[in-house]
Amino acid sequence: MARILDLTSLMGAYGTRLLAELGHDVLRVESPKADGVRREAPILGAAPRPEAGAFHQFLNAGKRSAAIDLATEGGRKLLLALVAKADAAVVSLPLPLAEEKLLAANPDLVLVRLDDGPPELCAYASAGLLAITGEPDGKPTMLGGHVPCAAVGVHVALATAAALIGKEATGKGQIVDISAPQCLASLAEQVWVEYSASGEMMERLGSRGGITAVAGALPCADGHWMISVPPDPRGWANFVQLVPHPAFKDDGSLADEAMRRERKQEILDCIAEWSRKQKKNEIVEQAQSLHIPAAAVTNPLELIDDPQLLARGFLKPIDHPDFGKINFPVGALASMFHQAMSIAPTLGESTKLILDELGYSVSEIQRLKDEGIVA
Amino acid sequence: MTGDRPLPLSGIKVLDFGHIVAGPFCVRLLADLGADVIKVETATRQGRTGARRGQRPGGTNGRTPHLYHINRNRRSIDLNLKTERGLAVARRLIDKADVLVENFSSGVMERLGLGYRTLAKTNPGLIYASMASFGQSGPRQGWTGMNVTLQACSGLMLATGAANDPPIGISNSWNDYIGGLHAAVAIVGALSKRRSTGKGRHLDVSQFEASVAMIGSLLFASAVTRKPPARLGSRASTAAPQGVYRCAGEDQWCAISVQSDAQWRTLRTLIAADLPCDTLAERLAKQDEIDAAIEACTSKLSPQEVERQFTAAGIPAAAMRRANEIAATDEWRHVLRPLKEHGEAGPKVIGLPFTFRGSAPCEATEAPRMGASGNEALREWLGLDEPAIAELMREEAV
Repeated sequence: MARILDLTSLMGAYGTRLLAELGHDVLRVESPKADGVRREAPILGAAPRPEAGAFHQFLNAGKRSAAIDLATEGGRKLLLALVAKADAAVVSLPLPLAEEKLLAANPDLVLVRLDDGPPELCAYASAGLLAITGEPDGKPTMLGGHVPCAAVGVHVALATAAALIGKEATGKGQIVDISAPQCLASLAEQVWVEYSASGEMMERLGSRGGITAVAGALPCADGHWMISVPPDPRGWANFVQLVPHPAFKDDGSLADEAMRRERKQEILDCIAEWSRKQKKNEIVEQAQSLHIPAAAVTNPLELIDDPQLLARGFLKPIDHPDFGKINFPVGALASMFHQAMSIAPTLGESTKLILDELGYSVSEIQRLKDEGIVA
Repeated sequence: MTGDRPLPLSGIKVLDFGHIVAGPFCVRLLADLGADVIKVETATRQGRTGARRGQRPGGTNGRTPHLYHINRNRRSIDLNLKTERGLAVARRLIDKADVLVENFSSGVMERLGLGYRTLAKTNPGLIYASMASFGQSGPRQGWTGMNVTLQACSGLMLATGAANDPPIGISNSWNDYIGGLHAAVAIVGALSKRRSTGKGRHLDVSQFEASVAMIGSLLFASAVTRKPPARLGSRASTAAPQGVYRCAGEDQWCAISVQSDAQWRTLRTLIAADLPCDTLAERLAKQDEIDAAIEACTSKLSPQEVERQFTAAGIPAAAMRRANEIAATDEWRHVLRPLKEHGEAGPKVIGLPFTFRGSAPCEATEAPRMGASGNEALREWLGLDEPAIAELMREEAV
């Protein structure tokens, strides 16, 4: 598999994680001072500082770490030596060294240049995505958990994996230019299509969704559940079996999706009245047995013990040196490719090994450390 | 961007058994990377008009606008998979394919006689990507899912919004895109592996897992703390103040994100507020107070004016853009492409947000009418001549 250097910010770090999930050897070249990914909260108290960030723990899993100060001449020289032996480098701009220098060190390098663009929230607003996220009468909001960054990351993984195929086929590398704001803009495709085809503007719908007439997250005894009532008459008949509200049973006209669209709020209120006394997982099990798309609205804490994720190996019980026994999110591709994902590396965990491989002597390595070039 | 180097997936043959958004979107990514795609459709299986169905009749080439965009850059063959001959043609196409993509519920392809194990016997190099909502195993294997329900159960709706907000999602087919992107990465990865092993594989993609992975960091946090992570709204832990601020006019907003102490000092002057808070930690502690002061200023200005004034002063700010405003931005200009059939004056479609230097980007071609390019597909992939194709049509296989 390919040797990939990872010099990305939070925008690209999920992309290089996916490349590790595919089985590539990903070396994160990071600042000895701990970079933004490591500093991103939530910070988990039990671990030493550079290892305590939840984003670091997830996004850098499966990667190795070399701590090199690229602000120093010695650090940049080291980077060139690594580039010479790599198949690909994925780098958030600005490049630490001129493109020509990187390519002179390795003419067959796949060089992925990621333009992070403005901060995540600003890119999200410009892309047209902020206008479709949030409650209709409330404040628009960005998708949480840095999901927009992860969405850029998946594009980074796709672009890099594709360029690696090109390299395998021809022996030649290629430069890939990728822009985070453009990634987000491309994900607002439906906003554009709707407007260009019919002049209509997509709006914020809270949890309602825009596909079926009756859909939304509704309260139940232990949180919320999500329902999307199937648009066809048979789906409605199944739904009335699930929610035996008198208002539904006695009104034949509601079998028609167009009528349901007109009386959406009234129907949602009736469903909520019924579901308030029910438990979400019980409703959802029953709905699914009737082929109705329903789901529990879950938070990350509920997901960490999720039976589906455990059964399929997305979650793997591990004994983490800093955090003890936890269910570790292996990842969507790693579980599919049966790729063992090592836990996120400590800062500079592989620096010495890497320098050994490059042929540096013990005394040279010590000098680099003393000068603060590596850690 | 121009150049004569072929795109990375040129020469790769892909069969699209997808429907609605997730499968066909995954396939479109592969097409934009240079793959040669045939979409297998069945005219007798109507009614799956898909995304935003029922709202937009008509469209182009018999497809709603959304599906017209999603299904571009491929040929379409109309095969009746309920007939033996139709199935036999499908099998012959599959034997020539490198990749097959399907996003039916688990078990549907097996019932059609098109399960992976059957197909791998005659085409061991086939990369077969399934994209069922919950995958092909586990207690929820047969469960049905849609974009909104997957946004709900993957944690996205409770990772979004502020404390005490109801669950909040995004109004587009977000989950389909995320599933499609993950499947595309898996397929390209599997193509790489096939180069060394010669073997294809079944990729059991779960759209649910793709979506959960997007908040994997929050899962990790919860695994350790045994608490749900705080819902931050549009705030961040490494930039403050950051948020979406009300501006003059109805439902008008501007995003602002202060990245440094220097930017904060500038902003403090701009909004004429007497708030010391020189460090990030201090600003994080006083976010409510600071946000109120910012909004007192922005609510008197249009979002465009806030964006202009703040960015001129070096503070990242961006107006919330709606559909009618986005086409004018740089980000959008770069991803919008003309269709080969209609030229610059025709409808613009969205292309890949990245380019390979030395390779011309894939030219966009419009989604065909169902079955419109079946003959071409049979000719090119199977080498059939006109009489052989006519024979298949007489037998109602095509």
